[in-house]
Amino acid sequence: MGMSSNPPYPVGTVISGKWRGNRYVVERLLGKGANGTVYLVQREGRREKYALKVGNDTLELQSEINVLTSLQSCRKRSEFRARRESPLSSYLLESDDFKGGDNEPFYVMRYVEGRPLHLFLAKNGASWLGLVGLKLLEKLQLLHECGFVFGDLKPENVMVSDYGEAELIDYGGASPIGRSVKQFTEWHDRGFWNAGSRTGDESYDLFSFAVLCLRLLNEDGLKVAAQQLPQTRSVDELIRLARNLPDKKLSSWLCLALKGGFTGSAAAAAAWKHHIYNQRKPAKEVMATPRWLKNAFALSLFVLAFTIYWVLRF
Amino acid sequence: MRQILLITDGCSNVGESPVMAAAHARQEGITVNVVGVVDYGTIGELGSREIADIAKAGGGLSRIVGTPQLAQTMQMMTRKTVVQTIQQAVNKEVKKILGEGSLEELPPLKRSQVVTVVDELTETTPLRIALLIDASASMKPKLAAVEEAIRDLALSLEAREGRSELAVFHFPGRSSSEDATLDMDWSSDVSEVRSLFSRLKMRGATPTGPAIFKVLEHYRYDKLDEHRDRRVSEDQGEREGMIGGYVV
Repeated sequence: MGMSSNPPYPVGTVISGKWRGNRYVVERLLGKGANGTVYLVQREGRREKYALKVGNDTLELQSEINVLTSLQSCRKRSEFRARRESPLSSYLLESDDFKGGDNEPFYVMRYVEGRPLHLFLAKNGASWLGLVGLKLLEKLQLLHECGFVFGDLKPENVMVSDYGEAELIDYGGASPIGRSVKQFTEWHDRGFWNAGSRTGDESYDLFSFAVLCLRLLNEDGLKVAAQQLPQTRSVDELIRLARNLPDKKLSSWLCLALKGGFTGSAAAAAAWKHHIYNQRKPAKEVMATPRWLKNAFALSLFVLAFTIYWVLRF
Repeated sequence: MRQILLITDGCSNVGESPVMAAAHARQEGITVNVVGVVDYGTIGELGSREIADIAKAGGGLSRIVGTPQLAQTMQMMTRKTVVQTIQQAVNKEVKKILGEGSLEELPPLKRSQVVTVVDELTETTPLRIALLIDASASMKPKLAAVEEAIRDLALSLEAREGRSELAVFHFPGRSSSEDATLDMDWSSDVSEVRSLFSRLKMRGATPTGPAIFKVLEHYRYDKLDEHRDRRVSEDQGEREGMIGGYVV
């Protein structure tokens, strides 16, 4: 709910920085977040494409930039320990103000090509959930290790590449662990389900993750549960939905996450990897024989018998 | 930091002007936000103008929404108001130090530091919000949603690090001599927000102005034991600070 939402910039608009002087050409609109509008841009004179977010409130956007900056330096430290790799810049490339515009603040980040999680699964099938879920949990774990919770976790904020790489987008709701969650979405909010506080902790994100799975697998059921009266709405409804899922290992993982039973995202990711990602279902599924097939079989037996009788008789 | 959040669905029609009452509130350092709740039809030009004017006089925000957006709107307004109030104070300091310049004009590094301070204060500043609920006849079908929104707001406040308290009033009061009735006194306990309006008798008039004055009185009356309160909370703050030190 921005205070002002200007019409989006037309294709070809050059956004040039007031402080650092870099110029970016707008290719198209990618989407609107809570704190601003995101464009696909190309740095002038270069080939690389980036995502650029223009804020509608300087303070809110700067707050988001601050989160990204601390994540960046946390990742840098851990990557320095491990191995040097180029996507250091995954969180934030630079921030600046739009010179010549209304001095709107903006920041530039890596462009994640793909589609939002719910659309990805709708296109590629729910069998991808084991892999994509694991990637997403690993992303959350990295974030938690740096001392932040994501807050507003929902399918719309997860970008998935064609090969199942998951990336969190829109860090507008991220806040330090132990602080209140700044932005949330009803269905994915622990408080909405009377299931705990709105203080950002690792379990908060895991709860949202569990609701996200339920939404992907049984959106109608979730909708019905959410429409209950606030007094009667409870986490038990979600647990019931989770229990009814055909995959029993997934449902017990979800139940634990909904109850806040994991010690943290590391444990949760490990359990997911062990029980859900690693379980290869046998390719052949046992199915009840449909009645028409039985009938057809009976009919063909009868025809065979009749034929034999007929052949023998003449 | 002190706020009044007025929830109404129409025009005032009795007593002093609510715009003047809001101006008084602002003078006493209390910000007034207003939410107009409309489910069917519109609030009318007169009503929506009054809502905007009350918020303007009270230095706050105003929104007109349906009951489904009520909870989210109240949370957003409360937070925005806290942020803005702190930003104003911080901007003043920034101006004092750097001469000219608002947040927007600061170079990125300085801006980042200022916003870190604003975020910190937003989370930790003690906060009191008096909710003032219009309980005139037309509001009756919306009161369940209002109560749910209050519970939701209490939940958000509970998550803050700073001490946060709610009080709830409705108007008109129980008798004609009472402009507003206190339903719940200052509390930071979410579980106290339960069946606030169940025994409510609806009465016709909408004395918005007098009701705001009544809330101001409550704020003033409360100052008497605020001193003692503050000492207690400072003690707590110190203790928590020490514990925090160990954890970090």
